[in-house]
Amino acid sequence: MKKSLQLLFLLFLVIGSLAAQEKVEIFGYFESQYMGTGVKNDYYQLFSNKLRLDLKSDLTEKITFAANFDYITYHGKKEWDILDFLSPDILAQVPPGMEPFYVLNFSNRTFLDNAYFRLSLKHFDLTVGKQQISLGTGYVWNPMDVFNIKELVDPTYEQPGHNAVRLDVPVGNAYTITALYSPDDTWKNSAKLIQLKGRISHFDYSLIAIEKVWRFHDYTQFDLEKMNFLELPEQRRLLGASTAGELFGMGVWAEFAYNWMDSTDDFYELVVGTDYTFDFQTYIMLEYYRNTLGKTDYEQYTLNDWMRVFAAEQKTISKDQVYIFVQHPVTDLINLGVQSIFSISDGSMALVPVMNYSFSENIDIMAYLNINLGKEGSVFSSNMGNGGMLRARIYF
Amino acid sequence: MKKLLASGLMVLLLVPAAFSQELTADEIIQKVNDQFNTETSYGKSKMTIVTTSGQKRTFVQESWSKDRGEKNLVRYLEPRRVKDQAVLMLNHADDIWMFFPRTQRVRKLASHAKKQKMQGSDFSYEDMGSGDAFIDDFTSKRLEDEQKEGQDCYKLELIRKQESSSSYSRLIMWIIKENFLPVVIEYYDDNDPAYLLKTMVASDFRVIDGIPTSMKVVMFNQNDNTQTEMELLEVKYNITLTDDLFTERSLKK
Repeated sequence: MKKSLQLLFLLFLVIGSLAAQEKVEIFGYFESQYMGTGVKNDYYQLFSNKLRLDLKSDLTEKITFAANFDYITYHGKKEWDILDFLSPDILAQVPPGMEPFYVLNFSNRTFLDNAYFRLSLKHFDLTVGKQQISLGTGYVWNPMDVFNIKELVDPTYEQPGHNAVRLDVPVGNAYTITALYSPDDTWKNSAKLIQLKGRISHFDYSLIAIEKVWRFHDYTQFDLEKMNFLELPEQRRLLGASTAGELFGMGVWAEFAYNWMDSTDDFYELVVGTDYTFDFQTYIMLEYYRNTLGKTDYEQYTLNDWMRVFAAEQKTISKDQVYIFVQHPVTDLINLGVQSIFSISDGSMALVPVMNYSFSENIDIMAYLNINLGKEGSVFSSNMGNGGMLRARIYF
Repeated sequence: MKKLLASGLMVLLLVPAAFSQELTADEIIQKVNDQFNTETSYGKSKMTIVTTSGQKRTFVQESWSKDRGEKNLVRYLEPRRVKDQAVLMLNHADDIWMFFPRTQRVRKLASHAKKQKMQGSDFSYEDMGSGDAFIDDFTSKRLEDEQKEGQDCYKLELIRKQESSSSYSRLIMWIIKENFLPVVIEYYDDNDPAYLLKTMVASDFRVIDGIPTSMKVVMFNQNDNTQTEMELLEVKYNITLTDDLFTERSLKK
């Protein structure tokens, strides 16, 4: 904690000095968030405060430097026992004596999220450092994105930066070839990606090939050396394609990825989606996602399936799901909407009413309720807890 | 001498007026289209939204346009909340991409997104699109000339074509005879051609780089009782812009 504060102080000092010389643009936001959920006979509350400090500097006409530093504090219930949310069938799979390890910890964090420089020449852009990697056309799920998993009820929230070297080569005005290398401890374990993006008529499309080690864990075995659950790293090779465009006046998109695994079963993921804005300003979106790694019924779910979803190692636990979003601007400053996520495989459903309010020029307020309507053991069972979130964000 | 000058001036003023009598609705709307769609342009503008409760929201944006409005790029400068967000519109806004800087994500939007309010304002993306929409989406009919906002105007009724996806069933437009700039446009409901939704009023007419320009436009939303003012802070026409500017690569910069 003391170290973090020292680092923060040092950072402010350096930034202040650079800003005084007008070399660096400084901006960011402060975010205060409350999250509450009813679990069993109790009501858990977690508060967080986040300060995001962005720096951006055009060092020359061709070189840009950008970074952001995040400082997050948590208050309230900082340790969540995952077992509180699971059904008795799943709890029976927990090895005796290992119960205390199934905990999600929310510890204060200070970290450099993104920090990169970009060299932009006539024929290419080269980006080196921790950077955002956004792949695919899906809104909630992205089969092609092996780097990030979006938050189901808050899919547009920013993703963490990834250390990588990225080369984007435009070919004409409609095509781009991207090559990306995200280093790990060895060349073999490092992620490699190549993508072609283009445009045909009113449709964008992309073709992608990725090789990356997937760091699954076995949550029924413990690695005493690492003092963590046993890691089962496995090479994953992916070929994918995506498209986005318009059909009969409606927005349409699709994304597909086939995954070849070294030791476990191969699988594929598919997303198809559509959206439309009515003349009376109501916006509607529908997205379907299939993940053949998921199970077809809740009776097949295992402790490992649940833990991999909680630990954001796997996108979903069930095979087929649908996301529906309806939003309407009730005033110039307030948007009201409802997100509804339905697991076709186990028949459960979550309803998430959402409100976005532009409180002032640079203050946004977002709130949602999370209502799980499924039966015990299903993805959206009421065991998951019903609650809500309130977030205020102040930009500077 | 004074009399001669006065009558000479009268002749000069009357000649275009006499010619104007000959102009058809199609010819007038074509001239309006030509005024809007210069070969290239750059603008920096301030948009102020006044809500029903009287609160204000101000946005500052830069925009570039090429090939007579076929290609458009808009980048937000203020407020901080939306800084560096950008919108690329190609093929007269039939293809739209939006860039979100914090996630570095580019999202392709379908043309229905044109109906959405731009940053919650009373302008939709459709209202901000290229002037070709007046020709492509509507058939025009000339009504009796009128004075509007102190200007001698042509009055046109634009009725939506059957194949058009415009969100307005018809427009009534008053066009200044002197420079072919619309001074007032009334927008009527999608389903009810008698129901007035919004009224746009232009003012502060100046000639920039030889091109008549309205520096201020206010959109009054009769339906929501709100208004949005768009003020041009800077404008340049027929500047050199390369096609590279209107690409996804440029959107991210």
